[in-house]
Amino acid sequence: MTRAPDTGLILIFRGTHQVLSAEKRLKGGGVPLRLIPVPRRLTSDCGLAIRIPFDHRAPAREILSRARLFPQSAHLPRADGEYDLVSL
Amino acid sequence: MAKAVGDAILRAGNPGRSGHALSIRSARDLFVARERLAELFGCADSSRFVFTENATVALNQAIKGVLRPGDHVVTTSVEHNSVMRPLRRMEDGGVRVTVVPAGKDGVTEARNVISAFRKATRLVVMVHASNVSGALQPVDAVVAAAHRRGILTLIDAAQTAGAVPIDLSTLPVDLLAASGHKGLLGPQGTGFLFVREGVPIVPLIEGGTGSRSESDHQPEFFPDALESGTLNSVGVAGLAASLAWILRKGVGTIRRAEVVLVGQLLHGLSRIPGVTVYGPADPAHRGSAVSFRVEGIDPAEVGARLEKRSGVLVRAGLHCSPNGHRAIGTFPIGTVRVSPGPFTTRAGIATFLSALRKIRGPSA
Repeated sequence: MTRAPDTGLILIFRGTHQVLSAEKRLKGGGVPLRLIPVPRRLTSDCGLAIRIPFDHRAPAREILSRARLFPQSAHLPRADGEYDLVSL
Repeated sequence: MAKAVGDAILRAGNPGRSGHALSIRSARDLFVARERLAELFGCADSSRFVFTENATVALNQAIKGVLRPGDHVVTTSVEHNSVMRPLRRMEDGGVRVTVVPAGKDGVTEARNVISAFRKATRLVVMVHASNVSGALQPVDAVVAAAHRRGILTLIDAAQTAGAVPIDLSTLPVDLLAASGHKGLLGPQGTGFLFVREGVPIVPLIEGGTGSRSESDHQPEFFPDALESGTLNSVGVAGLAASLAWILRKGVGTIRRAEVVLVGQLLHGLSRIPGVTVYGPADPAHRGSAVSFRVEGIDPAEVGARLEKRSGVLVRAGLHCSPNGHRAIGTFPIGTVRVSPGPFTTRAGIATFLSALRKIRGPSA
């Protein structure tokens, strides 16, 4: 399987409040991230998702678990424009 | 606060509806205000604070979202119409309502509220401080007793949020409603409802939330469950700024200053012949609202003369709380009400008292 050039892990949350809450905690924990529009292929929601470098998966998991903000799903983009569902 | 509102209106996007910069900025305004509310009220989870247009909408959401036909609700005789009117409507639909009478000082005894609890009691609704007499109500004792019996509690903190310390980490209240434009110093058109996790509540309004858009059912997670339609992110940006000011100042500091000013006000009013003051004599037992009457002059006329002669703006009449006035014996004429706030000075109180002393004299 071929990965997209930017292989950041995309985290999908229930709502915008949860995205911003996760952003605050991840930043506080030193996890680099970007807020991105939710890819339409992943959900029909109108809002935001968080992209983190794949190699920061472990600290992100720990921070979000502690804050009871575990994402609904996590995805890795493929070169063909699709996404693989992965565990955080 | 005004600058924050001005800045926000120039860059408002629809929060939670897009991934573009303006939408994100407005979403951040909501998030920051929610986080500050959670900090102010000692709650770890800011998602439990739902923004509303005002305290009235928050109270309607709480009352109509919790009560069902056959339920019994206990409230007091000093509630605002924003509590009594929804309760009377629910009564028409089969909810039984017990109104516990307050004393002449506007204080409801905790034991009288607690003794009104029944097996079918679902909810206790109580104002924290009367908007008429200013009397603080024994919410701690009532909430604790209701909590022990599994009865839900709703506190109307319109008069106290931001002015009297409220700690949700120690007060096990289930629902707390307040407006943003009073003690929280925000703009009109803002308010909130706190809903403790696990409290079963159905939304008053359903609609678009920007989340779960594939479903035509309302999301159940907070705050989306109770926040449908485009929110007043511009007003909430102003509220966020005023909350930051309150957090820096400290509600305890604000409260101590207001108790001193209310004490000065009560003392000054007691020395003016023909003036009757209502509510508890001890400023520590009241919020900042002080109601009074001048013998022989209609409250509305007192208000008009005060504005003309001293520039002091007061509210005269029934204050949307006929029951509150019945409780202290001032229905139907009402009272004149003054309310010192964090920006009121001792000199301002002195100016007001001086104008009131001359209220019977000819206008200048």
